[in-house]
Amino acid sequence: MRTKVLALLMLISFILAACAAPAAQPPPPTSAPVVQTQLVVQTQVIEKLVTPTPGPNPEAVIEGVEPNAEISLWTFYLSPWFDDYIKSTIARFEATYPGVKVNWEDHQATFLQDYRNAMAAGTAPDVANLSDTEGWVREFAAQGKLLSMSDNLPQSVIDQYFPGLFNLQTVGGKSYQVPWYQAIAIELINHQIYDKTGLKVEDFPKKYEDLPALCKTIKEKTGTLCDIRLTVTDLLRDMAYQGGVKVMSDDGKKFTFDSPEAVAWLQMYVDMVKNNLVDRNALMTTDDRVGLELFTSGHAAFYQTGPQLIRTVRTDNPGLYGYLDVAPLPDGKSGKTAPTSMAMSVKADTKYPKAALALAVFFTNPISQLEFAKIVSIYPSTPASYDDPFFSAKPVAIEDYAKPLAKELISKQADIMPEIPQPKDVNEIVLQAVQSALFGGVNPQKALTDAVNKANALIGQ
Amino acid sequence: MPRKSALTPYLFLAPALIAIAVFVLYPIFAVVYYSFTDFDISTPPVWVGLKNYQHLFSEPLFGQALLHSFIYLIATPILIILSIALAIIVNRKLPGINFFRGLYYIPAISGSIAVGIIWRWLFDAQGGLLNGVLMWLGAIKEPVQWLTEPALTLPIAISLTVWMGVGYYMMVFLAGLQNIPEDLYDAAMIDGCNSWQKHLHVSIPGLRPQITLVAVISSLAAIEVYNEILVLFGQLGGILNSGVTMVFYLWREAFRLNHAGYASAIAIVLLVITLGFSILNMRLLERGSESD
Repeated sequence: MRTKVLALLMLISFILAACAAPAAQPPPPTSAPVVQTQLVVQTQVIEKLVTPTPGPNPEAVIEGVEPNAEISLWTFYLSPWFDDYIKSTIARFEATYPGVKVNWEDHQATFLQDYRNAMAAGTAPDVANLSDTEGWVREFAAQGKLLSMSDNLPQSVIDQYFPGLFNLQTVGGKSYQVPWYQAIAIELINHQIYDKTGLKVEDFPKKYEDLPALCKTIKEKTGTLCDIRLTVTDLLRDMAYQGGVKVMSDDGKKFTFDSPEAVAWLQMYVDMVKNNLVDRNALMTTDDRVGLELFTSGHAAFYQTGPQLIRTVRTDNPGLYGYLDVAPLPDGKSGKTAPTSMAMSVKADTKYPKAALALAVFFTNPISQLEFAKIVSIYPSTPASYDDPFFSAKPVAIEDYAKPLAKELISKQADIMPEIPQPKDVNEIVLQAVQSALFGGVNPQKALTDAVNKANALIGQ
Repeated sequence: MPRKSALTPYLFLAPALIAIAVFVLYPIFAVVYYSFTDFDISTPPVWVGLKNYQHLFSEPLFGQALLHSFIYLIATPILIILSIALAIIVNRKLPGINFFRGLYYIPAISGSIAVGIIWRWLFDAQGGLLNGVLMWLGAIKEPVQWLTEPALTLPIAISLTVWMGVGYYMMVFLAGLQNIPEDLYDAAMIDGCNSWQKHLHVSIPGLRPQITLVAVISSLAAIEVYNEILVLFGQLGGILNSGVTMVFYLWREAFRLNHAGYASAIAIVLLVITLGFSILNMRLLERGSESD
């Protein structure tokens, strides 16, 4: 008991000492100096360079790339605007796969013809930027000119793309391209003309079948014709997406594009032409720049394009740029959005297949695509790219309108078109039929039925 | 020595002959061969015999293209008349006349593509100068879609050809006019001819060799027209094929639809037609020089 009390007293005294006021300051020095010895601890920092153990480059996803390979790359309409991006990506690729050299060329209006001629001459590039939208991939894949991506890429690489985009333009169920940058089609509005109709941007048609009424209002109030373009190089695609038309039978052996839905789709355009509501030159051109130039020159109330082409308006007609607005694309009866897609493909007889595949995959990987998206309003085909805060940031310029919605919209893009046999010849038949109905006074049902019969005869059905 | 001298001319001719063989003869023989094949440029040709020619002569569009090419020949008399008129106008010793001669010649040295683009802007429905002027004058109430009216396709293309060619042919006739002796005009004046009669009875007969030459050159050019159609009306060649001429049809089949074999057959038929015009040319020239 006595010991416990003593211990408690000692504990209390320790606590009190700790809480005690600081000791009084020492008295000022007297006349006699006091020598004090202080222990000095010196810390010496020695720098030692440590070479980190090299780890795998996350962008080096293709194994067995041929050493000292020299491969060629063609891009479509990217120079001179994106020279720095292309060159820096190539430099990064060459650093990732040392010893591989890339020779880059950009081709523009004559790209498709140049590529065809090069294929015929045996001088086609190892890797080419082909348009999925225009059907280029399928054209060459069907001829056996492209390397199958489905067969030659590891599944881990295939999985980095949106499945709907990797499986665009398949031939025999296999993909011959890796999807590159995507566009999201929007309706670009010119307030200088549009506002005269009394309508607001929110009133822009939500469905394709409501476009004729808008064009009529625009014509009555402003005297301006609508700037609408048919995809004259792939009319069946327009029919399918806009009109919800089933263009081939389920077994893929017969054409069926003379259905009531097809007639209704064609009649819509016939009525617009008959009532002089659309610019016929823009409607029937093979060159989408015609319609864009019409809009850029300030002669159209709206135009369907991609946000990345708004830069054309900014460059060619800066005065119009401030009057621009954006509306979502009207929905087609199919309920699906057509992909507006660029891709990278590898030629089948390349001397360096691994190097070529590595280049195609490198340009289309999440990192490269994110970098590209930061330069221009295009959207990656890789879900991982959208994890970057760049896409969740609030849009500032009109070109960024679709940024926050991009991942969701891109993931919904899908190819609903069946494989069309002899697509160019079939499209030519459809084109003549559509023209005869639009401009020749032929009944749309008759025009389409005659076209179906000719197309079926062409494929031997 | 004789053997060496006999070989020498051939050695000098060899480079030119090789060039002709490679760049002229070989392509001709290749086209003849391909015209009997199914060939899409990308895959090897497959022999099909006369199938391409059978298809050609049964294809309505071929007949339409041939008709359009012959209609285009109307550019020839228009060019001749306008060129002679211009040559007569500028064949005067006036201060500054050389400026006008140069001005009229400028279209001839302007690229057909650049001129075609300007022509397209001129006829554009919504921003074109022609519609703008007509609407300002009150002649039309709403824009006319010139470039997509099938009936206007060939006239617009012909107007472009005439505009581009008149300056060139004017120089040919100007040179011809300056070779006509002044005495003939003096004699006509003494006989009581007015200006119009002088040109009708002296200038025109005196320009006969030049007229023959211009007629042949411009008609061959008309048969082979392509640039104007492509630039003005795009790859479709006009609404409802209204601007499709023989060469345009050939281009479309070869490069848009990849039917190189069929396009070769078109080329052979076009060659035969052009050959016919060339023979006619030679006969007319011979007759023209005989009359001189």
